[in-house]
Amino acid sequence: MADGVALERDLRLIGTRVIRHDARDKVVAATAYAGDWAMPGMLHAVVVRSPYASARIRALDTKRAAAMPGVATIMIASDVPRNTLWTDIPGQTTEVGPLRARLHVLAEDRIRHQGEPIALVAAETEGQARDAAEAVVVEYEPLPGVFDPAAALAPDAPRVHDEGNLLAHWRVSRGDVAAGFARADVVVEGEYVTQHVDSAYLEPESGVAWIDSDGVVTIRLSTQVIEHFRDVAEVLALPQNRVRIIGTYLGGGFGGKEDVTVEVYLGLLAWQTKRPVKMVWSRQESLLSRAKRHPYRMRYRTGALRTGEIVAQEVELLGDSGGYAYLSALVLLYSTVTASGPYRLPAASVDARVAYTNNPPTSAMRGFGAMQVVFGYESQMDRVARGLGMSPLEVRRINALRRGDALPVGQVMETHVAVPELIDRAWSALGEPTPPRAPHVKVGRGIACNLQPYGRIVWLHDWSSAWVGFEMDGSLVVRSGAPDVGGGQASSLCQIAAEVLGVPIEQVSVHIADSALTPLAGTTTASRQLYMSGNAVLKASRELREQLLAAAARMLDVDAASVDMIDNTVRAGDGRSLTLVELLRGCARMGVPRSHLGVYHAPAGEPVDLEKGSGKVFPDYTFGCHAAEVEVDVETGRVTVLKLAAAHDVGRAINPQSVEGQIQGGAVQGLGYALMEEVVLDQGINLTTSFASYLIPSAGDVPDVDPLVVESGEGLGPFGARGIGEPPIAPPAAAVANAIEDATGVRITRLPITPERVARALGLVEE
Amino acid sequence: MRVSLHINRRARAVDVEPSSTLLDVLRDTLGIFDVKEGCGEGVCGACTVLLDGRPVSSCLVLAPTAAHRAIVTVRGLEDDGELHPLQQAFLRHGAVQCGFCTPGMLLTGLAFIERHPGADREALRHAIEGNLCRCTGYAKILDALEDYARESKRG
Amino acid sequence: MHAFDYVAPRSLDEALGVLAEHGEEAKVLAGGQSLIPLLNYRLAKPRVVVDINGLPLDGLSVAKGRLRLGALTRHAALEESLELARYCPVLREAAALIGNVRVRTLGTLGGSLTYADPAGELPMVMLALDAELAIAGHAGRRTVAAGDFFTGPLTTALAADELLIGVEIPMTRDMGGAVEEVSRRAGDFAIVAATALVRVDRRGRVDDARLAFAGVGPKPVRIAAAEELLVGSEPTSDRIAEAADAARAAVAPEADAFVSAAYRRLLVGVLARRALARAAARALAVH
Repeated sequence: MADGVALERDLRLIGTRVIRHDARDKVVAATAYAGDWAMPGMLHAVVVRSPYASARIRALDTKRAAAMPGVATIMIASDVPRNTLWTDIPGQTTEVGPLRARLHVLAEDRIRHQGEPIALVAAETEGQARDAAEAVVVEYEPLPGVFDPAAALAPDAPRVHDEGNLLAHWRVSRGDVAAGFARADVVVEGEYVTQHVDSAYLEPESGVAWIDSDGVVTIRLSTQVIEHFRDVAEVLALPQNRVRIIGTYLGGGFGGKEDVTVEVYLGLLAWQTKRPVKMVWSRQESLLSRAKRHPYRMRYRTGALRTGEIVAQEVELLGDSGGYAYLSALVLLYSTVTASGPYRLPAASVDARVAYTNNPPTSAMRGFGAMQVVFGYESQMDRVARGLGMSPLEVRRINALRRGDALPVGQVMETHVAVPELIDRAWSALGEPTPPRAPHVKVGRGIACNLQPYGRIVWLHDWSSAWVGFEMDGSLVVRSGAPDVGGGQASSLCQIAAEVLGVPIEQVSVHIADSALTPLAGTTTASRQLYMSGNAVLKASRELREQLLAAAARMLDVDAASVDMIDNTVRAGDGRSLTLVELLRGCARMGVPRSHLGVYHAPAGEPVDLEKGSGKVFPDYTFGCHAAEVEVDVETGRVTVLKLAAAHDVGRAINPQSVEGQIQGGAVQGLGYALMEEVVLDQGINLTTSFASYLIPSAGDVPDVDPLVVESGEGLGPFGARGIGEPPIAPPAAAVANAIEDATGVRITRLPITPERVARALGLVEE
Repeated sequence: MRVSLHINRRARAVDVEPSSTLLDVLRDTLGIFDVKEGCGEGVCGACTVLLDGRPVSSCLVLAPTAAHRAIVTVRGLEDDGELHPLQQAFLRHGAVQCGFCTPGMLLTGLAFIERHPGADREALRHAIEGNLCRCTGYAKILDALEDYARESKRG
Repeated sequence: MHAFDYVAPRSLDEALGVLAEHGEEAKVLAGGQSLIPLLNYRLAKPRVVVDINGLPLDGLSVAKGRLRLGALTRHAALEESLELARYCPVLREAAALIGNVRVRTLGTLGGSLTYADPAGELPMVMLALDAELAIAGHAGRRTVAAGDFFTGPLTTALAADELLIGVEIPMTRDMGGAVEEVSRRAGDFAIVAATALVRVDRRGRVDDARLAFAGVGPKPVRIAAAEELLVGSEPTSDRIAEAADAARAAVAPEADAFVSAAYRRLLVGVLARRALARAAARALAVH
């Protein structure tokens, strides 16, 4: 089912550069994003947040604020029916044990991070809401805080939560690591530090809520997870079928809209006031309060033989969860499983911990823990190569996983692992070396490979559903709960349905992301949507096709196996035909349904005890290799990336233009991580709450990324596709660091690689 | 106060608070959602409009100061329902993903190419440095702009 | 943003009258590129905003060996000016580095100078050019040398009831100039910026040298020690290197959360050398 369609003809649409229907709307600004929505009588809402990172609320007075002009309501914790939010793995109902985390909707008495929400204000205008928010009086008692995970794990550290600051601890162990190191010819060690970064989507968190005529709390918002309607229902103590989330086309998600953002607040305020309510976060508020990517401190020790073969690796990871857990335990699990990279290791151990601090909370972000560790393992691979006097490409080729090899956690690679081809493609795409353009500039090259899981953890029993149906005139409707974050998720579903049902793609209309009206499809995260919802649409389309062709066979009085539907026509082997419309009319007469609901269940597995057990954790992985050529100004430390070639095995490119776009966009986001993005904190206070201080790459900062699409065909997604949303973001940082070492001989082990960091490594800075 | 705004070749008289920005008036008063708020400080470019032919951040223009000046937003590019060739180029080259930066990119690119027909890729790259995009990595946007710049020199 | 009264005076006297009446509670609106972000973020809450865009304060003229620029001259106009390309290319080079294209469409010379960002390009260039700033107030007009105008971070010698109406720059026609800067991202604020201007006589010896920096302290600075070192000799790379060392020794940069003082000092030396080398090359090309 998950492999290529067995159609008796060549594919017409899959693999073609389809112009996406949503792109047409977007070039004329016709797309109604979540903030582009107004309802009669709509109120505007803002959140009152703590300026302190660690404090107790001594007093809270909303009287003066509530009396201000235009204020409709002010809500605090005691006004919330059930003030607890569970960050369950979104959309799942399976027991997930320690991966379940809790936080308050509004703070009750304890503040654990700057920006923690305390009150909600709704007023006639946004200006009035902000004026009233400023008039809410909160008396704080600042408390000692802890701002570094290592310090948080010290015995006398201030407790962020009563149960202690260690949130999660995962271990993987395989083989005899000590024996491995003992026989190694070379042992290299490194400590790598990565930073907090922000999703920094262009569209801030936004939404509008209202109560519709059925009493259903309806929230139209920018989200990667419409299943949060359940969270809103729980908080409001309403039945889950009385809350509806309509997911709009997002102006970017990147994991930052995976947790709840504005929906619970909007639901509360709409429910309280019985009026429509709008909330749009400013950029400042988004940068201040939205969860960040986990920073890690990583220690790697790698042992290799003279032949280049790695014989042992020991990894320690320490992550920062900030004030609340959110998805930290799961992110850490991804890091633990992928910490050794796409390599065959006879002996490996990983010891990974994540601790609470009073820093901003950290949660999902593109790459989800499998990203940060690439900086660790790919820096190590180059160190091993230098230690052995071998080519960095060769060391990777020698150690790359192959079909039948296992990761340290025991998961066996069931498909071809294209790492050697990806290395060759990426490296040769760099072409002729660029000569240094001036005496103060050095040029170097480096590569980095990665593996990124796609699809959810197998014991979460992931599934997705989709409905496909013909109207009487032959136009096709696809309904899927899948949110579209901008990566063409919705368009791919149209492409798949049109392919199977033999209609032009312009004839397909798709409705997505409505928890009341579209079959649920799970989250647009984990690079899972093409895999899961693509397969759901594929399944629904195939099953519908079978139904319709059986009816056509009856109408034409031929064997069902001899009919096919293509280009709005049903053709029999003997040359006779029916138009699609005639077929559909015939189906109506015969009582044959013209639509079908398909449910795709991902192959499930048993939970794996990472430490003692061994087995499959993720359905599959996408492999990649990036090659970078950089120029280093050896007087100022400034790094310019001249070329970046990014190769990924995508299994099959459903829409090659979309795949290239994902690779280019992800890689540039990765370059931002590598060179300039950093949430700067001072005792938990965020100093980078504007786009003037939190820097994301502009067109002038990055080269054109050369996207190299390899299609080995063995993905679990429709037509053999693999997930490509996340993989491209991870390799650039290591590729750039490796290129800098090639150019200058210095190794940067801390991100971002700012000019000052390079200048210091070069010994240029005198105190 | 009453202000006359000329938007996409049409004069509109609106009542505005002096403390509202052109962005606010376009979106909240006139329902023109072509302009987006991405940062509130003129860095991201999502709110770009052309003011007398030049790109400005509508989030940094107080509504009264926009009176009597020619304002162009993306919906002003279409001609009788036909997409502008630059819009078509964006579609052809896959230059649109989430689309939030797209209106700003189109207007900025268009204004630049009108002043510099046949501009090369590096000049175009520099021209859109002030428009942030988080999805595309800029390459396909530059492909579209380069294509249109070439066309515009011929035509 | 918080509500305010809006006034768009038609004459300079009218504008000055409003400022005299409201003092600190009034904010002047020119290009808006620095003021309106503060209003959007509710960091500034003026009672009155005085829109001076209707005043006749733009324009560029050259007379009697001096270049006059109105305070409302937009950065884009500086960037595109053919007269500036001829008479003062270094100012054009600096204007092209300011912000992004949208900032340059509306942002003004006067706005930049009165905002006095310690990392700003235009305050630094005015210092290097020995510009004189023309100020109008209720009490009359006065002129302040650039060196006296910038008094601290985001602070100037301008009183609350005064307006900057223009600048006057002594011509630097035979001087070669260059602006160098390092920023963390294309179009971002400079970490450190340098402006160098050099003139050589017919024997190839420097007879006028200017070296100014932004981003090295609370206000832009001129490095007299470096300038004195250069005058009287040929601008060889050794001489330039000595001048760069003098600049490094003369500055007292401060650290912030993003960049250390020591790194700024490093950049001073490197950018001094590069700016002086380019300026000298251009100066030599004049002959």
